[in-house]
Amino acid sequence: MSEQISALMDEEIAIEDAAHLISSMQSSKQSADAWSQYNLIGDVMRGNQLLSRDFKQNLMHKLDQEPTVLAPKSAQINAESTATFKDKLPVKWSIAASFAAVMAVGWMAMQQVQTGNEAPALEMAQADVVEQAIPNEYMAAHQSSAPSASSYYIQSVSYAE
Amino acid sequence: MKDFVLARSFASASLIAALLSSFNVWASEEDSWQVLQKAAVAARALSYKGIFVCQSAKQIKSVEITHLYDGQNEFARNVVLDGAPREVLNQSGNVVIYNPRNGKIVIEKRRAQNMFPAILPTDLNSIKASYSLRSEESERIAGRPAQVLVLEPKDGLRYSYRFWVDTEYGLLLKSVMFNNRNEIMESIGFNQLALMNTVELDWFKPKIDHNKSYVMEQEQELVADAGSQIDWEIKALPAGYRKVDQMMRKVQGKPGPVTHLIFSDGLAFVSMFIEHVAKSTKEKPAPKNMLTTTGNTSFYANVNNGHLVTVMGDVPEATVVQIANAVVFKK
Repeated sequence: MSEQISALMDEEIAIEDAAHLISSMQSSKQSADAWSQYNLIGDVMRGNQLLSRDFKQNLMHKLDQEPTVLAPKSAQINAESTATFKDKLPVKWSIAASFAAVMAVGWMAMQQVQTGNEAPALEMAQADVVEQAIPNEYMAAHQSSAPSASSYYIQSVSYAE
Repeated sequence: MKDFVLARSFASASLIAALLSSFNVWASEEDSWQVLQKAAVAARALSYKGIFVCQSAKQIKSVEITHLYDGQNEFARNVVLDGAPREVLNQSGNVVIYNPRNGKIVIEKRRAQNMFPAILPTDLNSIKASYSLRSEESERIAGRPAQVLVLEPKDGLRYSYRFWVDTEYGLLLKSVMFNNRNEIMESIGFNQLALMNTVELDWFKPKIDHNKSYVMEQEQELVADAGSQIDWEIKALPAGYRKVDQMMRKVQGKPGPVTHLIFSDGLAFVSMFIEHVAKSTKEKPAPKNMLTTTGNTSFYANVNNGHLVTVMGDVPEATVVQIANAVVFKK
């Protein structure tokens, strides 16, 4: 099986003929591991840039640390098209939603965010802890109808009153 | 010739041994399920008193539990011993929480779905479909010998568990949930336990603090579903998950009622909220989707056909995304 997966990677097996391999990768951890390991080996050998294992966590962490821009000067063009939608969302959430957008673009976007950071004359606030990323009202509704075993005793929702 | 006979009898002996051992493996998984089944029942049908420790994300709390089954009804009182003296009373599945908050005691109502040690459903069939079970060497928990059972998911759409079951009482002594990287996400276990031999109920009441005022929780009002137009369908759910509940509720800050669906694979619970969003977002649908994890909870939101679909639960991120994608909107 591993040999066939390797052959598929090297395009020695046509993708049309590989249905059984793909289903094997979905169902068997061994095959899935083989696939990701071969890809990793391939990337290393070709000298492709690798994402570190904690890439996502690091990125999310860095985004947490980013200050929240309260008075952006040039964001108005963008704001117009999104204004209607934003009205429907909690403020914190729209910040969080921008995390997702940055995620998609990856490192490039992050570097831009960082340079943007240096722009002068911006009012800033420390970003809230990521705990706030999940809107409390949903969290409360979820826990009241579908509680986890520890949520009866430990409250993860920080109630703002 | 003699060697040949010897070799043959050796071969058949090892064949029989192989057959026997494979039978043993099968029998022991079946036995393990029996132990788990017994633990699910024992948590509800035994009377006991003890102290367990509950750990989640960054917090640890000790809880004193008194649980009584009188042959018909279940009564349980859980008192949180660390920090605010929160009390959780459960009478046959109806849970009332006395929650000290901002100088008041807020009374909250919940349903008991998976209150320790009754975290397993009494019908294990749905769990059997999605998890495999194996037993490991016995260990000692709360001064009692315990059988160790490891419940592992058959795919990446749920977390794994390690259970310790009292060899004598059959009661679940400890449960630990692990994520896909084998990190502990939630741990609940007794450090003291004794069976009770009483049917007295004089203990089944909260300790009242006369200096505090008691108020009902500002309920996220459940709205009767007045035959509102259902313009969606749940299509291909991830393996093992099925819809277990559906309601309409008012959610703070939302103009209209929100549909709340609950999905479960028997152990994990996932919520989905469906609500309308304004149509004028056509030119550029702003935040297309969002995926995040806080503590143990994965959260995914996306805009689909003029609806905001929000899914969350103590499951891997892939699961909330797949459940969100299972909604299909009718044009």
